[in-house]
Amino acid sequence: MYGLDKSLTSEQGFAEVKQFMTNPLVKFVVWGLISALLYHLVAGIRHLIMDLGIGGELDAAKLGAKAVLVLSAVLTLIVGVWIW
Amino acid sequence: MVTSVTNFSRSGLYDWMAQRVSAVVLAAYTLFLLGYVLANPNMDYAQWDALFAQSWMRIFSLLTLVALGAHAWVGMWTITTDYLTPMTLGKWAGGVRFLAQSFCGVLMFVLFVWGIQILWGI
Repeated sequence: MYGLDKSLTSEQGFAEVKQFMTNPLVKFVVWGLISALLYHLVAGIRHLIMDLGIGGELDAAKLGAKAVLVLSAVLTLIVGVWIW
Repeated sequence: MVTSVTNFSRSGLYDWMAQRVSAVVLAAYTLFLLGYVLANPNMDYAQWDALFAQSWMRIFSLLTLVALGAHAWVGMWTITTDYLTPMTLGKWAGGVRFLAQSFCGVLMFVLFVWGIQILWGI
């Protein structure tokens, strides 16, 4: 929210936020936050699909859980490449 | 049994629905914003400012903030009523849980008002 505020208030603020994002430690933290969000998103979508009555059987549920982990790991890697 | 006096809507069924509807809004906004930033690698201030200057983007952003508040409330309510109980904390559980939930509620309200200021203050 602070970053959004700063980046929208002025051109200088936008440049400051952009500069801040080049810090390796900041990149690492942002990577962690986005990864956590994407994992929550992928697992949430699986939850919604299961709410619809799909994939609730034991075999399908196990497969779905693994798919969530694999997909999240792949997305985490992609986001990491994107950030660096 | 935990009485349902602090949950979002006094109704588990409605909370269940609110959690899912807000989830869809949050997912749409997350994918949109990530996609937008990905599609515009060398974005400058003018473009960023122009995006948030449009009414639909401000409404979409505020809707997302409201959805975030509802989603986080249902989630944090579930966690606090599951783990901040007399079984884990003894006789002070009620007070601790009340403080934790108050903190969550105040935080969501602050984020909501702050969001309005940012979005309409440009």
